[in-house]
Amino acid sequence: MSSEVEEMSANSIKLLAGNSHPELAESISKRLGIPLSKVGVYQYSNKETSVTIGESIRDEDVYIIQTGTGQQEINDFLMELLIMIHACKVASVRRVTAVIPNFPYARQDKKDKSRAPITAKLVANLLQTAGCDHVITMDLHASQIQGFFRIPVDNLYAEPSILNYIRTKTDLNNAILVSPDAGGAKRVAALADKLDLYFALIHKERQKANEVSRMVLVGDVRGKSCLLIDDMADTCGTLVKATNTLMDHGAKEVISIVSHGIFSGDAKEKIKNSRLSRIVSTNTVPVDLDSNIYDQIDISPTLAEAIRRLHNGESVSYLFTHAPV
Amino acid sequence: MGEIVIFGGDSHPELVKMICDNLAIHSSKVQMGKFSNGETSVSVGESVREKDVYVIQSGCGHVNDTFMELLILISACKTASASRVTAVMPYFCYSRQPDIPYTNKGAPLISRSNEERPEESDNSTSTGLTTRKPGAESPFEESESSIRSDSGESEDSKQSSSFSSAPNSNDIKKSVSFSRIPVIPDGKEAGSTKADAGELFNAQNAGYKLWVAQAGTLIANLLTTAGADHVITMDLHDPQFQGFFDISVDNLYCKPLAQKHIQFGIPNYKEAVIVSPDAGGAKRATSIADSLKLSFALIHKERRSQLLKGPPGATLSSGGTFSTNPKPLVSHLHSEEMHHSNSASKYVQTTMLVGDVRNKVCIIVDDLVDTSYTITRAAKLLKDQGAAKVYALITHGIFSGDALSRIRQSAIDKLIVSNTVPQHETVAYLGKDKVDVMDVSRIFAEAIRRVHNGESISMLFEHGW
Repeated sequence: MSSEVEEMSANSIKLLAGNSHPELAESISKRLGIPLSKVGVYQYSNKETSVTIGESIRDEDVYIIQTGTGQQEINDFLMELLIMIHACKVASVRRVTAVIPNFPYARQDKKDKSRAPITAKLVANLLQTAGCDHVITMDLHASQIQGFFRIPVDNLYAEPSILNYIRTKTDLNNAILVSPDAGGAKRVAALADKLDLYFALIHKERQKANEVSRMVLVGDVRGKSCLLIDDMADTCGTLVKATNTLMDHGAKEVISIVSHGIFSGDAKEKIKNSRLSRIVSTNTVPVDLDSNIYDQIDISPTLAEAIRRLHNGESVSYLFTHAPV
Repeated sequence: MGEIVIFGGDSHPELVKMICDNLAIHSSKVQMGKFSNGETSVSVGESVREKDVYVIQSGCGHVNDTFMELLILISACKTASASRVTAVMPYFCYSRQPDIPYTNKGAPLISRSNEERPEESDNSTSTGLTTRKPGAESPFEESESSIRSDSGESEDSKQSSSFSSAPNSNDIKKSVSFSRIPVIPDGKEAGSTKADAGELFNAQNAGYKLWVAQAGTLIANLLTTAGADHVITMDLHDPQFQGFFDISVDNLYCKPLAQKHIQFGIPNYKEAVIVSPDAGGAKRATSIADSLKLSFALIHKERRSQLLKGPPGATLSSGGTFSTNPKPLVSHLHSEEMHHSNSASKYVQTTMLVGDVRNKVCIIVDDLVDTSYTITRAAKLLKDQGAAKVYALITHGIFSGDALSRIRQSAIDKLIVSNTVPQHETVAYLGKDKVDVMDVSRIFAEAIRRVHNGESISMLFEHGW
């Protein structure tokens, strides 16, 4: 009886999910032991998005799980998220937190040529305009994107989960970590320190976006099994070229581990025909790859724990170094 | 204010071209596209520093994509130091959101694209209009053209189940290119209700009334956030929508243009009757009727409990000033009983016509036609009441789903529609003599010219251009 009263009085937590990644939402909900709230997110025949909230969320602490994915639907999912946030705000919730494991438009983060849009900044503004109070995301392409927001952003790291994976699922005796570009050197160096491994670096000369030209390997990989680490794999052009470079330099095998496995365009085909022996990503976005080459790291425990801690007002920084089991 | 610069989005290049031709300038270079991961890419090809920028994008096609394009383009111009950015949205998306159609069990009609339709027609990848191919008639089309409520509320499963059992061959193209988003069909098929959707809509019993989120305010705020300083649009579904914005909004009217089309396009228009297909559009229709001095009729749909229902026509006896006709004013064209699983009450849906249309030319006036249920139903009612000819005059013709085929088979003799949304599909499908397209580009061009020069545009409201 008393517990019931407590439940009634305390403002409780509600999990809402869009259509982008129902599996991830489901496993976060299982992990937290909180069912997903009933929402109907549909599309009219004129392609406008319709959102129906199926239960009262007044004065609740609401978490909306929606990731950036889909070659056709990414804008639909973004609009879903914005309309859901807006709907929650209109429904008088206490706080809305957007849980965006893969932040859409994260790579459009700078004015790299004249009049280029800084779409990541736009998305940040749109989220705030819709009424978002807090953002949880993971492995932002550039952590400076946090500065685009006027609201708190918790940028979680997949690194602890990836470390666990490397420790348990790969042979560390003969391994070397490789960064496919100079930008990722810092990420790989940090991992190499924690694993006490050597690392190598590939330097690429890029001419156009999504197109990679010449690659130069710095470091010795002969006879080693290479762990190629990156924050995302999109068209996989870099990945495949880096794999070729490594194999040409006498590597024993190449295993690629990325945080966000977007695998767009003909990436599937490229991976199939590549010399990669394994490709691993987290489940921040849904991945549809053949399981004999693909392996997945489940990061829903990290996201679930972040939600729990945020709701209870506990520190989240523990998660930057530890993966909840 | 600096020079004028016009950018056109991807949604309606012809209109952009026509507006620019009217202004005797070229639209500036801008490239819209998508990165391979689906993100929209925009690159502005000309300097906009200290310029007066107009971005033309209609809210049609794949709405969320075109809208994001617009937002990105606006913000790109803003960050590139444009002195003012005006969003020109001939059709303003999300300005009207209908309820979700329900089954009689209270669950929404939702289809999960992939699972239900294993065999897909050849152009399943097209993201454009999803209409039936010309010449491909469906066997069950005739039987259901009678009455169907716009929101699909009166739709019940017995009728729909006959659809799903009918040979669902590739003559029906559906919007199936989207795998993960459940689609609300335009009232066509049922039986595909997802389990959780059914559960969701049973929540009605728990003292909580379900509601559909209205995105209007949000859309207005998003445009402002992206950096729009001014919005030009046409025939907003709700005039109150203007109040959602913190920036200035010019809502142009199609009415002057529509009047001209009635005067010059409809023979003997002075004998015609202006008809509003629902109560909500009455004001719009009467204003046209008033200025052309035409008579007016109204179609009204209502659902009421059978127990409360008096004799036919009783509730409307007060409105009997129209009556010079032996026929009853209130025509119960169609009644459909709805059995609610959770209650014993019976609802009867009645559609009635108020006004006299016998042997007259009727002009149905509406601002927006999407699924076309309302308008085709109205046309049938008018014909049943002895109307000689039925015209449909529409500002925004979205015609999603099977709307066009429904219109072709309906009693509508001629469609008059503006080009705020591309209409070549409509013309190609219905034939040139059945469709008359009103060109709004002159109005928009003049509005842009006047806004740029700081002149008043209120003259456009009355006289058109």
